[in-house]
Amino acid sequence: MITLKNIEKVYQTKTIETVALHNVNLHIPKGEFVSVMGPSGCGKSTLLNIMGLLDEPTNGIVEIDGNPISRYRDKELAHIRNQKIGFVFQSYHLINDLSVLDNVELPLLYRSGTSAAETRRLALTALEKVGLSARTKHYPTQLSGGQRQRVAIARALIGQPEIILADEPTGNLDSVMGEEIMNILLDLNRQDGTTIVMVTHDENMAQKTERLIRFFDGQQVSDAKTNAYDYQKV
Amino acid sequence: MIRHLFKLIWNRKKSNFLLMTEIFFCFLVLFGVMSLVVYNVRNYTKPLGFEHDNVWLLTMRPSADSAALNHQKLEQVVQQVRAYPEVSHAALTNSNAPFAFSQMTDNLSYGNKRSSQADHYEVDDDYEDVLQVQLSQGRWFGPEDNAAHHKPIVINREMQRQLFGEEEPLGKLIPQNDSVNYQVVGIVDHFRGYSEYSAERPAFFTRISLQQSDKSFWGELLIRVKPGTGVAFEEKMVQEISGIGKDWTLEVATLEKMRQNKSKLTMVPMIALGLVCGFLILNVALGLFGVLWYNISRRNGEIGLRRALGASANQVYRQFIGEVLVLATFGLLLGVAFAVQFPLLQVFEVESVVYFLALGISVVVIYILVVGCALYPSRQAATIHPAIALHEE
Repeated sequence: MITLKNIEKVYQTKTIETVALHNVNLHIPKGEFVSVMGPSGCGKSTLLNIMGLLDEPTNGIVEIDGNPISRYRDKELAHIRNQKIGFVFQSYHLINDLSVLDNVELPLLYRSGTSAAETRRLALTALEKVGLSARTKHYPTQLSGGQRQRVAIARALIGQPEIILADEPTGNLDSVMGEEIMNILLDLNRQDGTTIVMVTHDENMAQKTERLIRFFDGQQVSDAKTNAYDYQKV
Repeated sequence: MIRHLFKLIWNRKKSNFLLMTEIFFCFLVLFGVMSLVVYNVRNYTKPLGFEHDNVWLLTMRPSADSAALNHQKLEQVVQQVRAYPEVSHAALTNSNAPFAFSQMTDNLSYGNKRSSQADHYEVDDDYEDVLQVQLSQGRWFGPEDNAAHHKPIVINREMQRQLFGEEEPLGKLIPQNDSVNYQVVGIVDHFRGYSEYSAERPAFFTRISLQQSDKSFWGELLIRVKPGTGVAFEEKMVQEISGIGKDWTLEVATLEKMRQNKSKLTMVPMIALGLVCGFLILNVALGLFGVLWYNISRRNGEIGLRRALGASANQVYRQFIGEVLVLATFGLLLGVAFAVQFPLLQVFEVESVVYFLALGISVVVIYILVVGCALYPSRQAATIHPAIALHEE
């Protein structure tokens, strides 16, 4: 599904050169739930941005379904993001001037061929999936953090993406809310077979996923299956 | 997407209120100036109804001699002027010669119809030749009118429309007073003697006959000179006329010079208003540019999000241009609702088409203005790197 080969990312300013990622090699197969852990500044979010085609590596190859993305132009990359990838962010990234329903519909605005009625139906289905059917006309500022994150997940779901990239989705939530969000992601992975890559600081959350990759100073230091996920699977 | 943009702008109406208000007022000022410009340009492109090239106006102020003596001298002056080889034709008129700062208006009635403030020109038989007035029906004045039972009158089409409608006007009698009637002998399509920028108004011509009115004095003599006639002839003519009308004050001006002076009367306020309007538009443009730039830079997170959700750079660019167009549309809707009252209520009795044209031009100018102001900030928004934009949020 996603393959990273010898990825290197260097941020260059006039005076400083910062290596965010160094020699990263990864393969995320279809249907896997992977968590990425590491201290702040170790390159987790950069990795997610590169996987999500929001950023380009300084060196190395990114492949989606076996196709190197370096050959794609901006329009094609945008199309892949729209069709294949759903994003969930720590700070939700909801547009406060749009209702919950309108926020969820956003990805389909950039997908041609979906009628307004179909878009509405899919948005309602996505909101139902995350348990927010009763809040469709609310605005983000009228919701709790957990509810906002659920809206963000519904927005990621509406386009029925094959991959969900979640950047600390429980980072701003208390443990109960975090648990709820985690369960939604687990259900998506198990029931729909959605590939999920989640960046987290929370060891407990990470242990619920199938595979845990640890980063330190921009380098991948471990990559192992988790026991908890195997246990749950059984 | 259009529905999404309308929703977004409508939901942000509070923060966009000032921008919309600015666009609304800018539109109103532009509409006002454009109405004036369209009105004047439309009038300018319409035929005047006469030729003013090579026509001079000799203005004569008589002395305190008796009216009969002045009349006698006037006859001599007219004969003298017509006798010059440099002169093709010469015609007496009252003080409202073309492009003069003088008007003479009158109301005429026919049956139950009444003309509104028609321009009244008293002219002699040669006026047609001097100004090369084009008659569309009937004839100009001539010696045959000396014995006419009714006073001959030539009217323009606008006058015909007001008094006769679809009725054939030639030969019809129009009462001047209880005992005297005018009889329509000719019709001209156009005659706009006041100014090139003035609208076609109802106008009529009545006949001056020096022979029939032995004490009257007309102080304006229109002279068509042959091409190439210059200042030397003007000096000679004035000197010789001074010999006839001793103590008379004489003044010669070309109709071309008078036309230019009259044009300035319209052009100067129009240019002044245009400058004020241009300055206002420049201010609005700079304000819009600044506000749009600020707004877009404040929305980096949203830009990053949209890119993440599948918007290409070009779609982000088009979205911001679209937003500005929607924003302008809200301001313009209000402005158009206000401006459209002018043609509906027939304000200033100007043709509706003038207002509608001005309205259309103003709308287009405002759209061009806002798009022009949004191009650069939108381009900047489109080039924002999505990962950086999301990180900034």
